[in-house]
Amino acid sequence: MDATFSLLTMTGASAMLLLALAVLWRHHVPAYITAFRMQSVALAFVGAVVAWFGDVSELFLVAALILALKGWIVPRILARMEARRPGDRGLHPLVNTEMSLLLSGGLAVAAYEISRPVAEVISLPTRGGLPLALALILVSLFIVVSRRQVIAQIVGFLMLENGIALLALLGAYGVPLVVELGVFLDVLLGVLVMQALVPGMGEPSAG
Amino acid sequence: MTTVVLAAAELLFLAILAPAVVGYVRWLKARLQSRRGADLFQPYREFRKTFAKGMVIADTASWLFHLAPYVVVASTVAAAVLVPVFSASQAGDQFGDLFALMALLILGTMFLALGGLDPGTAFGGMGSSREMTVAALTEPTLAIAVLALALTAGSSSLGVITGTLLTTPANAIGPGHALAFAAFLIAMLAETGRLPVDNPATHLELTMIHEAMILEYSGPYLALLEWAAALKLTLLLTLAANLFVPWGMATSVGAAALAFGLVVVVAKIAVLATLLALLETRVAKLRLFRVPELLAVSFTLALLAATSSFFTR
Repeated sequence: MDATFSLLTMTGASAMLLLALAVLWRHHVPAYITAFRMQSVALAFVGAVVAWFGDVSELFLVAALILALKGWIVPRILARMEARRPGDRGLHPLVNTEMSLLLSGGLAVAAYEISRPVAEVISLPTRGGLPLALALILVSLFIVVSRRQVIAQIVGFLMLENGIALLALLGAYGVPLVVELGVFLDVLLGVLVMQALVPGMGEPSAG
Repeated sequence: MTTVVLAAAELLFLAILAPAVVGYVRWLKARLQSRRGADLFQPYREFRKTFAKGMVIADTASWLFHLAPYVVVASTVAAAVLVPVFSASQAGDQFGDLFALMALLILGTMFLALGGLDPGTAFGGMGSSREMTVAALTEPTLAIAVLALALTAGSSSLGVITGTLLTTPANAIGPGHALAFAAFLIAMLAETGRLPVDNPATHLELTMIHEAMILEYSGPYLALLEWAAALKLTLLLTLAANLFVPWGMATSVGAAALAFGLVVVVAKIAVLATLLALLETRVAKLRLFRVPELLAVSFTLALLAATSSFFTR
């Protein structure tokens, strides 16, 4: 039972980290949005698994909300923003692809090393995924700082949020429902505000 | 004694099967492109024909040019001895392990590149330089991907890795195994000169790698190099199948178990070769400057696999 639980959460967490890495290798914004959508689906999957095996029924609601909000509404808003974005379609990151991937590999190794003491004292069946969640947070942060386009940075930021949600799910079986709902509202509000602001922003590299 | 006979039988099996694997991939690709395609045995006929031909050798070629095909064949054959084929009680273990395998593969690659450089033609030099660029990125990836499995099994011997996986199948589930498999497959494509890194179907393309190096070879030398390339493809496919999905391999030295292992390994190679043909039909060749990006992806995957195996040991 615990072995299956541990295995399913590990698989979900690895899929999420891989999708963050996939962003580094892709060159177009629609691919970024697809990766984010799939990552959110994976997060919802992890949420449902924790709800089922950890016996936390309110997490089913959270998983459904993740699926609706981050798996459907936010990607749609992002896709619409991308469709309206004028000019050059190519992304020209500040760090080239090879270097980005190697740095992310290094960040993942660092995440494993940092979280080792934590993983040793925790006895939850989900502890195997903790280093992956931390690695996801670090890699997403790297996406935010190394991309030039605002929309790519937003995707990185949303992935960072996914990483934190994953860490909360795996480390504490989710936070109270009220807090979770507040976070969802914040994410939605944040994306809506960005949608309003981004068309007015020039590309930072243009100047 | 039995183990030596078994090792010899496995080597002979790989050596004879190799051209058929190449023939199968070519045939399937032709079918997928709505061509009729030559049958499985066409590579054997080609080898017979090429072996019988005379050789044309450049005036500028030195002894190295003559030595290279032999070293390439010898190192590939030696590498093939180490690969577990249809028996998990691996006979080749007494000769070398994972690191010996990687060293033998890179030795062959190095001499192939030297042979390409030696006559001093522009194409050969270009091919060799590209091959070394790619090899420098793929060899560590292959080694680290297999190392991820070796860490879980607690041994660098290929026979022990497959044996451990057979006895404790739980090792196979988890991110480390899947990531290592993905990394291994990408590196294998680059290592054997398949799409999307190199195009095996033509030597009339400016971005070719493997075909450019062997452009100056003809007759028996060419046949040797072609056969070594086929053997390398087959041995890497076998390695991928047996290291990551070892089920069905013979664990005892009985006739029935060995025969079953033989059938299973042929089936596994056929599945992987089918996937290879499908992939080669679906994807276009990558621009040469994007190849390092792909290889960086596979290196990162291998690194993650090894990290997760190391920390969750």
